[in-house]
Amino acid sequence: MNLNIKVTKENTFDAIVVGSGMTGGFAAKELTEKGMKVLMIERGKEIKHVQDYDTAMKQPWEIEHRGKTTLVSAEERWANSRFWGLGSEEVVNHLTNDKENPYIEKRPFDWIRAYHTGGKSMHWGRQSYRWNKQDFEANAKEGIGIDWPIRYEDLEPWYTHVEKFVGVSGQKEGLDVLPDGHFLPPMPLFAPEAYFKKVMFDKFNRPVTVGRVANLTQPQAIHTELGRASCQYRNKCARGCPYGGYYSSLSGAIPAAMRTKRLTVLHDSIVAEIIYDDQKKKAVGVRVINQHNHLVTDYFAKIIFLNAGSINTAALMLNSKSSRFPNGFGNDSDQVGRNLMDHQLGAGATASIEGFEDDYVYGQRPNALYIPRFRNWGNDKQTAYLRGFGYQGGASREGWNRGVAADGFGGDFKENLTKPGAWAISIGGFGEVLPDPNNRMYLDPDKKDKWGVPLIVFDAAFSDNDRAIRKDIIASAVEMLETAGFKNATPYDRPTHLGLGIHDMGTARMGRDPKTSVLNSFNQVHDSKNVFVTDGAAMASASCVNPSITYMALTARAVDHAVKSLKKREL
Amino acid sequence: MNRREVIKSVALMFGGTLSAPTLMAMNHWEQNSPIPTTSAAFSLTEQQRKIVAEVAEMIIPRTNTVGAKDVGVPAFIEMMLKDCYLQPDHQRFLEGLTSLEQLKFLELNEGERRGALKMMEQQTKEQMKVPSKTVPFWRLMKELTLLGYFTSEAGIKASFEYVQIPGKLENIKLKPNQKLYAY
Ligand SMILES: Cc1cc2nc3c(=O)[nH]c(=O)nc-3n(C[C@H](O)[C@H](O)[C@H](O)COP(=O)(O)OP(=O)(O)OC[C@H]3O[C@@H](n4cnc5c(N)ncnc54)[C@H](O)[C@@H]3O)c2cc1C
Ligand code: SF4
Repeated sequence: MNLNIKVTKENTFDAIVVGSGMTGGFAAKELTEKGMKVLMIERGKEIKHVQDYDTAMKQPWEIEHRGKTTLVSAEERWANSRFWGLGSEEVVNHLTNDKENPYIEKRPFDWIRAYHTGGKSMHWGRQSYRWNKQDFEANAKEGIGIDWPIRYEDLEPWYTHVEKFVGVSGQKEGLDVLPDGHFLPPMPLFAPEAYFKKVMFDKFNRPVTVGRVANLTQPQAIHTELGRASCQYRNKCARGCPYGGYYSSLSGAIPAAMRTKRLTVLHDSIVAEIIYDDQKKKAVGVRVINQHNHLVTDYFAKIIFLNAGSINTAALMLNSKSSRFPNGFGNDSDQVGRNLMDHQLGAGATASIEGFEDDYVYGQRPNALYIPRFRNWGNDKQTAYLRGFGYQGGASREGWNRGVAADGFGGDFKENLTKPGAWAISIGGFGEVLPDPNNRMYLDPDKKDKWGVPLIVFDAAFSDNDRAIRKDIIASAVEMLETAGFKNATPYDRPTHLGLGIHDMGTARMGRDPKTSVLNSFNQVHDSKNVFVTDGAAMASASCVNPSITYMALTARAVDHAVKSLKKREL
Repeated sequence: MNRREVIKSVALMFGGTLSAPTLMAMNHWEQNSPIPTTSAAFSLTEQQRKIVAEVAEMIIPRTNTVGAKDVGVPAFIEMMLKDCYLQPDHQRFLEGLTSLEQLKFLELNEGERRGALKMMEQQTKEQMKVPSKTVPFWRLMKELTLLGYFTSEAGIKASFEYVQIPGKLENIKLKPNQKLYAY
């Protein structure tokens, strides 16, 4: 190994942030804006906002295989292409090459990764929902996992802080189950969806709202000053948006941090270990391997934020062994890597809709409709399972692809396919998954990647509670679509594994007791308080709403605490 | 509903179109072995190429707008089969072509050709009821013809109201003779 352990001015910073994705970006923004000199370390290649969105402006005929996954992509991206559409040439080169970055499935795990500037924030669906009060209290009430050390009120101001900066479009509904946030104007529901909303409310007393989504429907100064503009409704966000219409670390947090002139970014640099100093009794820096030349360099800082994504953050902790932490950094409780959660995805129902023949839509809505959780909420009590699920979905008029399954060919057939088809609707559930210490990832004792870092092994699966939720996701979807009078309500249930929800979390949970948790109420590693974990690893339960806005709120709150503590010389 | 249809509905939800390698990727775990991408090189004979071209043109003929052959659908189909489909799909496709060769498809007149394709369409419906990892010839032929045509530059511009940058999102009422919007 080529070591370069000189402590110099060049490799010493106030703070180190590991990862440039959704949470690393936000940490860097908050830290630099509070005056910290920050080094952000990203294992993947550099992607420059706008400039490197190489497929963004491609016309349909310029995408060679027209959205289909090629055999080459399916082999190289064998995990990523398990998710709908991620094998397409529109996006595939922005997802991790699984062949070069293998992992081991003791039990199957669909690990979707994006190793580059911005991480998965470049690809996310942008759905942004606050947790509700019960989400934080349920573990304690039901005796599941461990209690959260914080409550909704602790996070509330930070949700607002994040929503303002990110720009979330949504409709206020005044619901306890789905707290309102600081919203830009909502996107419209389409005609059959507005009808569906009314029927669901009348017949079931279930609210339906348009998705809350991090796309700018009406940019504010806080957005335009970073060069972000209004969404143009192309719904090609996954390719990267040339207008900065949707939020990502690339369009928002990183430019904001850059503007302070206090951010340094390292690319192609894998953080392999956290360096613990036995004398100082705290972490002092990180050990970094250059992707290309394998050169090892150490960097030092007063505080360290781990934002490599739940699984990589836990892997990094497990790989950092010292005499103080023989089982991995911060792992006195043996909880690092355990309680791996996700959301269930890929189950729901579709139906065809009669009527609304005169209604159509101009533009592509980069958004869905949302049906908040109604199970085990209010007066509803389920005996088969704890917690619940929400739905995302939407209605649209069928396009030319309806011709594939339909009878016919020839001139009239061709002409007919140029016209809008009938309306169809689809709703799919996001189901809560409970924490279970036996659902885990760990490091293989022998196998290593080409940088000499141990391979990650997944050993996790859905539980009986998860399966009972899934059954109800499907049954309730059919029931709701039929009650709305839609035709041919048809269930779907794609065989999936944990991971496909791309909401992996829980691998270094927050808690009150260092014996059963890894982090305290401010995301600090219990016995090395200058290290903060603020990605999904910190989660003590999963709720059923998309998590990123919560990760960012936790991040902003932790940074605030970190900087205050530093000033008080407590770290 | 068979597995393929299940996945189709999900594809609808995410606005994607189905493709064979996606299925293969999902099966990676089941097989617990890497996907063999270096599948036997796929190519068509001259005669098979002609049949593919004629069938594609019958699905999407030249009318007052361009047809399948005009926009290069036949070559597109061959390229897609080669790059995106595995050997079992190739084989089923070739079997379909062989049955048309046996019918001496190229020597049939217009009406007879139409009859042959109609018969194939009916048979395909029966075949689709049997769960399978491969797609019947007619179904794949039709899918790739429509995909190739309706995403080609001339096909899109002739068929739809193509809007690259909508700039707004609104509920509207259909205009007389409203075409689909393509983006
Ligand atoms: C298709 C898709 C749709 C999604 N939709 C939604 C949605 O609608 N709503 C929602 O809330 N969430 C959604 N998500 C999930 C969302 O993207 C993640 O929750 C979020 O990005 C997690 O942020 P993170 O910072 O933890 O990880 P990431 O954003 O993945 O960033 C981690 C970064 O760390 C880097 N890294 C990893 N290991 C190391 C290391 N050892 N050293 C240095 N750098 C390292 C990675 O390269 C990466 O850049 C979606 C994700 C995808 C892919
Ligand atoms: S839909 Fe909006 S945010 Fe998404 S790519 Fe288009 S313009 Fe950008």
